[in-house]
Amino acid sequence: MTWTNNIKRLFLSGIFLVTQLNVMAQTYTSKNIKLSLYSSTPLEDIRAATDQCTGVIVRERREIAFQVAIKSFEFDRKLMQEHFNENYMESDRYPYAKFKGILDQQVDWTKDGVYNVTVTGILTVHGVDKKRTVPGKISISNGQAEVSTEFKVACVDHGIKIPKLVFTKIAEQINIKVTGKFNQLK
Amino acid sequence: MNKFGLLPVAILLMAGAAHAQNTDSLLKTLNPTDKKETVATTFKSTHVVLSHSSETEKKHDLDLRIRHHFGDIGGKFGSAHTLYGLDVASDLFIGLDYGVSDRFTVGVGRSKQDEMYNFSGKYKLLQQNVNETMPINLTLFAQMGWIAREPFSNSEFSKYTNRFSWFFQSIISRKISSRFSLQVMPGLTVRKNVSDTRDPETLVSVGFAGRMKLSKRFSFVADYTLVNGLSRPTDLSQAYYNPLGVGLEIETGGHVFSLNFMNSEYILENNFITNTKKSWTKGGVRFGFTISRNFTLFKSKNKDPEKRSDIY
Repeated sequence: MTWTNNIKRLFLSGIFLVTQLNVMAQTYTSKNIKLSLYSSTPLEDIRAATDQCTGVIVRERREIAFQVAIKSFEFDRKLMQEHFNENYMESDRYPYAKFKGILDQQVDWTKDGVYNVTVTGILTVHGVDKKRTVPGKISISNGQAEVSTEFKVACVDHGIKIPKLVFTKIAEQINIKVTGKFNQLK
Repeated sequence: MNKFGLLPVAILLMAGAAHAQNTDSLLKTLNPTDKKETVATTFKSTHVVLSHSSETEKKHDLDLRIRHHFGDIGGKFGSAHTLYGLDVASDLFIGLDYGVSDRFTVGVGRSKQDEMYNFSGKYKLLQQNVNETMPINLTLFAQMGWIAREPFSNSEFSKYTNRFSWFFQSIISRKISSRFSLQVMPGLTVRKNVSDTRDPETLVSVGFAGRMKLSKRFSFVADYTLVNGLSRPTDLSQAYYNPLGVGLEIETGGHVFSLNFMNSEYILENNFITNTKKSWTKGGVRFGFTISRNFTLFKSKNKDPEKRSDIY
């Protein structure tokens, strides 16, 4: 009886290992996705950017996730950057913004090409979750996937209050632009 | 047979778990928590009420600071006859601070009292960080004061160097929570222009300061400087008091306004540490305000259009 048990165990761990490897092979990651934000009003155009956004794509589950540290955003005015962290994003309390969703379309990851997709999922900014469907583009070439998207985030959706004093300087809708190259995890 | 029946379920569960964990755990491994990150904005401004805070200007930022101390609210010089001190300007100050780097600030200013010009340097030596390997901020501050007024008597500035005074301070602060910061500042003032022979030329002082954030834009600030009774006798013919200031700090993005109440007539350390002759208990408290406006210089050096902001 013991040898059958052993074989069972071997069989089990073998399958487990295969599934794990399988998951790994179907996963893409990126550590330096560029993310920029742009707020435009007649009084002020404010821009900031970071290239430290991270992302994961799990091919089989069509899952895609991004995460960015709020403090990694750089402004050309340091005081603006301080206000962004301290007064609006409260990055000590909410250090990350995150988007995790499912690709609405099938993408043939083995074939080079450009796919226009939408992703439906949860956008978490300033600790507030919001269900969003975001359009994007996935370009696949040589096993690398380049992902880009542009969408707007309304401050009011995420409980980011803009005081009346600076109401004319900060847009109600912030434009977000994301571009990043994903590599297969080996 | 039961065992066999459970096997595929177990496999599925394990595989499922591996999948479910994947995006989140992978994101986590991609985002190692940065332990060296420093704690930002222990104080909102480079000053608390009377004293300096441990903050310095940011690189290439120029801060224009206008300060005003009115006259006594109560007592002999106060009351309705001076509209509770508002008719009187016991001291005025205008100054510029410039951030040479994020850690080093130079300053120049001029105040009404003694027509004093001041030149200062401020260096942030240590910064508190998130993982507590450095629990405090330490900033060093030095300021020279130059009395530009005419002498009151022929003997007053017998040597020209008697017009100069020096102030040195170590500013130790800690952001205790996101709303509350505390600060201790041991300091040394060296001056020559002393009338009482029992009043030492070198004064030791210890300051205490705090900031309590009331909301995102309003903070309660206070500072107190202990100087009388340390190296200075308390029974001098002229009574001196320890300066105490309390204030409300209002921040509106680029501007910081402070509405203060203090017993010290004067604005610069070289004056208020050595010369506070009014007391909170005898109507000597006064109203004062600070307006600080920040300008970012040389920002055009940033060529990255994705980070460029334009103010029209």
